Amino acid sequence: MRKREMSLLLLSRLSALLVLGVLGGLLAFLISRGGPVLGKELFFGDTPPLEALLGLRPVWNGLWPAVAGTLFLLLLTMAFAVLPGIGCGVYLSCFASPREKYWLSLAVDLLAGIPSIVMGLFGFLLIIFLRRTLLPRGSTGMLLAAFCLALLVLPSLIVATRSSLEALPDSLLLAAEALGFSRGQTLRHVLLPAAGQGILGGVMLALGRAAEDTAVIMLTGAVASAGLPGGLTSKFEALPFAIYYTAAQYADRAELDRGYGAALVLLCLSGGLLFLSWRLQRNLERRWKGVR
Amino acid sequence: MVKKLLSAVILLTLFGFSASASPLDPFRGMKGSLDIAGGTAHIPVMKQAAQNIMTFNPDIRITVAGGGSGVGVQQVGEGIAHIGNTGRPLKPEEMEKYGLVTHPFAIDGVAVAVHPSNPVKALTSAQVADIYSGKITDWSEVGGTPGAINVFGREDGSGTRDNFTEKVLGKQTIASSVNVVSSNGAMKTALSRDVRGIGYVGIGYLDDSVAGVTLDGVEPTQENAAKGTYSVVRYLYMNTKGQPEGLTAAFIDYIYSPEGQKIIEEDGYIPLPRK
Amino acid sequence: MFSSSSSPPWLRTVSLGVGAILASVFAFILFSALAALLRGVEWEFFGAVWSPREEKFGLLPMIYGSLILSFSALALGWVLSLGCCCTLRGLGPRWLAKILLTSLRFMTAIPTVVYGFAAVFLLVPVIRSAFGGSGFSWLAAAVMLALQGVPAMTLTMDGALQSIEEQTSLTAAALGLTPVQHLTWVVLPASKKWLLSSALLGYGRALGDTLLPIMLAGNAPQFAASPLESLRTLTAHIGLTLSTGAGGGERSSLLLAGGLLLVNSMIVSLTARALAGRGPAA
Repeated sequence: MRKREMSLLLLSRLSALLVLGVLGGLLAFLISRGGPVLGKELFFGDTPPLEALLGLRPVWNGLWPAVAGTLFLLLLTMAFAVLPGIGCGVYLSCFASPREKYWLSLAVDLLAGIPSIVMGLFGFLLIIFLRRTLLPRGSTGMLLAAFCLALLVLPSLIVATRSSLEALPDSLLLAAEALGFSRGQTLRHVLLPAAGQGILGGVMLALGRAAEDTAVIMLTGAVASAGLPGGLTSKFEALPFAIYYTAAQYADRAELDRGYGAALVLLCLSGGLLFLSWRLQRNLERRWKGVR
Repeated sequence: MVKKLLSAVILLTLFGFSASASPLDPFRGMKGSLDIAGGTAHIPVMKQAAQNIMTFNPDIRITVAGGGSGVGVQQVGEGIAHIGNTGRPLKPEEMEKYGLVTHPFAIDGVAVAVHPSNPVKALTSAQVADIYSGKITDWSEVGGTPGAINVFGREDGSGTRDNFTEKVLGKQTIASSVNVVSSNGAMKTALSRDVRGIGYVGIGYLDDSVAGVTLDGVEPTQENAAKGTYSVVRYLYMNTKGQPEGLTAAFIDYIYSPEGQKIIEEDGYIPLPRK
Repeated sequence: MFSSSSSPPWLRTVSLGVGAILASVFAFILFSALAALLRGVEWEFFGAVWSPREEKFGLLPMIYGSLILSFSALALGWVLSLGCCCTLRGLGPRWLAKILLTSLRFMTAIPTVVYGFAAVFLLVPVIRSAFGGSGFSWLAAAVMLALQGVPAMTLTMDGALQSIEEQTSLTAAALGLTPVQHLTWVVLPASKKWLLSSALLGYGRALGDTLLPIMLAGNAPQFAASPLESLRTLTAHIGLTLSTGAGGGERSSLLLAGGLLLVNSMIVSLTARALAGRGPAA
């Protein structure tokens, strides 16, 4: 065997083992430290869970406000992003003229490359700008953070929608045309349902990205202590920010343990979302491309 | 007997409630939210006060964010927060530009701190200045176990940093190799994990995980800070845009109330009476 | 599929709206950065010293920090990715490839902040006790950035290699090449472009990351000469400095930092597009 083949073989074995080893170590560490603290206590501290869930009593020393903040933030982000994301994807794959296609997909590519801290900076500048002009009472908060996160995840939504539609076989389109469907009908009754799983997968992927991002919310309204989310314009707690904050400054052992718990919870959340997304997109491929 | 006990208990609870609830009374029936940001030495006090108030009246939301004194000034000035905390007095141009009103509420010293297991227990200001300007780089030069000194400082805009720089470093320039952390809490965490580290924190943050260093022969305690023998001392301020009103005013009143003063003491600061 | 005139009008409006918003994000940031640059001529933004106390706002240490950190992380991560990719493409036993693929897919879901959190308590103390220093260093950040970049790079490489392998497998088999020979002498040389574009992807992500540098690199605004020294990246600089007073040199410097990051990401995206535009599609 030649030298080059040998070294490649060595490299491949080495890096596979290294990556697996490090990943395994990391997970074992997180689970061993975060696993034992998982439980009612981690989320609600010493507040009765039911009253905490209903928002009757505030939760101190628990993750519930951060979890609720993250969930609310995700909901709001999707409210901003889903329609434009899917709409734009549909337009790109089905209707855009070549020139529009070129410019729009260029914009999407460029947007996909923007570092998230720059998006956060944009949000911060935007609110300062709005305060000086239209909204003198505006402030950083949930709405602004969700808007910036929506911009951040738009590209993955657009790309997922577009590629799901483009993955459909031409025969589907031809059959619809042969049946005399109008274009709107074809889209609504044939193409979108057929690509639905893939698009849904894209939504999950976008949710996963929005859930884990820290840099954007750091600049647009996440705070260390706020209680449950109080409304669209108020500041909020969020899981990734809580993890970042705890790593830098935990007051005692209990707070550090909560940090491990939070890391594990966030990992499960984004892992779950990604898994769903992957399953949905695979189903789509299986159905239309015969890929196993 | 049972009846008597019961009534005693009821009486006690009633009495207890009315007595302890009085500083919180102004918050009864209030609604709305209050955003606090800025100085990180303030956070423990603000958080505890917020917890008490929100537990008393869940209709009130108080958010507490850090960021440092610079953020405090900026956010309250721009109207992004209602109260902006600083660990340094406002600069005249800041007061003028934003129309800020300042409320000093506690005294805090800034202590030079090391890991508890570090044998170095005392330093002079000159030594500390040399360490921060990069002239002294090894613990053996100040009588410690040989090993490189890991120097930690705070971010630009930190009131703790301004105070420390002004009173300890004087004209010396901080070396660019100083590691930067962005809050008092983060400083404490960093030092408690690093046996060769040195940094500075508000005295209120000293506990058994970080040890304060005797500076020029004076131990960094709040008593010495209050007496004036320990010289690296600053006030902690809350700042509002214009005179405070409504919830903001009630919160500031609460900090100056006996219950507020108790929180301040428990967090290791010396409460100041209202000016 | 259809022509644009047949599109439902709202769909067109939405899409053009999205395009307009995207364009305005760019305009907003670039304009702010340019304004900051013009306003701050006397602040010497491209100087080598960051010391606000002396009115010196040099960004050069941060630019240097961003570049060396992302290149070192890229070098490490790219080599690892190449190795992983070869394992996936038949250099390793089937079971290993299967486990690796699942693990890599899972890794794409690990939040950056979780990597950072784990590294603060696992990697940093190890570096501190093994090599000295505070542990918060170029090395710590580079290792974690490399690891974080591996899944995306490997999966991109793998996709490209797979298609080239399929195109050439018949010929290779006819020539009597073993799978290892096929991969080493045919597939890899033929996929240079894709290896390059995956590196580009990795570079863009490493340079744009905020959380790992801010949590692990120590944030000292200096020109780190050894991997054990502390450094500050442009991204971390924005996160740390957003705090300081409005209007001053600090604020202007971070606007400029944002602009620089944006320009860099644009260059990366455009180069990646140009690369993807040429040659056979994967």
